[in-house]
Amino acid sequence: MFEPVWRNFDLLLSGYLTTILLFVAAFIVALPIGVVMAAMRTWGVGPMRSIATAYVEFFRNTPLLVQLFFYATFLAQLRVTRNPVQAAIIGLAIYTGAFVTEVVRSGLLSVDVRQMESARSLGLTQVQALRHVVLPQAIRTVIPPLGNVAIALVKNTAIASAIAAPELLQQGGVIESRTFRLDPFLAVIIGYLSLTITLSIIVARLEKRLAFER
Amino acid sequence: MTAIAVIPPKSRLPWGWILLAAALALVALGFLTGVLPAEKWQPFLLPTSWRAFGLGLLSTFFIGSVALVSSMIVSLPLALGRLSLANPWRTVVTLWIEGVRATPVLVILFVVFFGLRRLGVDFRVVQIYAIIGLTIYTSAVLAEIIRAGVASIPRGEVEAGRSLGLNYWQTMRHVVLPQAYTRMTPAIVSQLITLIKDTSLAFIIATPEVVRVGRSFFNFYGNPVETYLVLLLIFFAINYPLSRLSRRLEAKQPREERVRVGGEVDQVPAEER
Repeated sequence: MFEPVWRNFDLLLSGYLTTILLFVAAFIVALPIGVVMAAMRTWGVGPMRSIATAYVEFFRNTPLLVQLFFYATFLAQLRVTRNPVQAAIIGLAIYTGAFVTEVVRSGLLSVDVRQMESARSLGLTQVQALRHVVLPQAIRTVIPPLGNVAIALVKNTAIASAIAAPELLQQGGVIESRTFRLDPFLAVIIGYLSLTITLSIIVARLEKRLAFER
Repeated sequence: MTAIAVIPPKSRLPWGWILLAAALALVALGFLTGVLPAEKWQPFLLPTSWRAFGLGLLSTFFIGSVALVSSMIVSLPLALGRLSLANPWRTVVTLWIEGVRATPVLVILFVVFFGLRRLGVDFRVVQIYAIIGLTIYTSAVLAEIIRAGVASIPRGEVEAGRSLGLNYWQTMRHVVLPQAYTRMTPAIVSQLITLIKDTSLAFIIATPEVVRVGRSFFNFYGNPVETYLVLLLIFFAINYPLSRLSRRLEAKQPREERVRVGGEVDQVPAEER
């Protein structure tokens, strides 16, 4: 039992680490994209709002699989990169950024306008008010949904296997095709569950610590 | 609700349309100057291409609609099991729902596809593998939406039903669920968008659908980048109206009646968008 798993454990482990790399890298890139786009959607002038809206709507309403295929072929055609991990990170970050945008925006909008007004009337500048009054409050509303987006991102990294990024599912499939056994997939499921469950525990903890009376 | 800082007055110019026109003008310029190779786009104009993509879409819609209906059916006993069963069954159902929700859809599709084949099950209609996999995932998510919907119904409704002499199941059937489903509609439409996006994953387990059609299309004409762009636009054309619909339905609901579940479901209150 599970012999194919133990015999190919190094392969699965490298896939697991690649999955973590995809997740961490894509999330780190998606956060600033989301914050900038959310600011543009909330306070943008002229075409900025429409650009941010178009970004969110387009990437949320199209399949990640096709987006990844597009980046992989397009970046190869432009001779930018042929590395599927890089293409996957770019694709996952842009896709996840659209969800982060909506989450951050809901956080910004959840802070009452009077908070900003009172801060300004106390003599704080706009930036100071944002930094010391608005953002600390917005972060509390943002953390739980942002955690959900992060968990969705972990699950979405599996789609990178379609462009042959050597991540967990891809390695599980490689072992399956060698051994014609299904137990590698059980190991793959345990791998993903370990990540998603850990994340949801962390999010629940943070949520508890940041909870406050409204 | 009001937003922080001074929101600049809504700009008078229709920037959305201006941007769209600018994009179209750029595309036209691209064709005229030859930056966009016209011969790579010409195959899309052929009636045979339309036919092929149409057939692929038909299969996509088939997978999506059957999976939606079966998920709606399966999700109800799952949700009611989690809400009403006694232990240990409640724990079993809860672990199933949470476990499935925490697993990537693609992994579920792989397990269903390879698992059924290993067991010797061979479906003539190859879409069935994808339908089963998508149903497993979507029913778990819908079960969670139903649970949130039922939880949003005030206790008084249940108490009123019970004191009128209805038993627990009758109260659920005639009082709680009809109201819950009305509240859940926007969340279900949002999940439908996710489901339609996820049908593309069926491509990976060798199901003939629109992405597969695109693949054979560009293998023949040698225009992968253009084909993927067209595929993205096709999916956008399907999902964007749905997301507008979901938002409009949600905007009609009073705030306290909104049902939200974690995941890729929208987080911004409707009227702010």
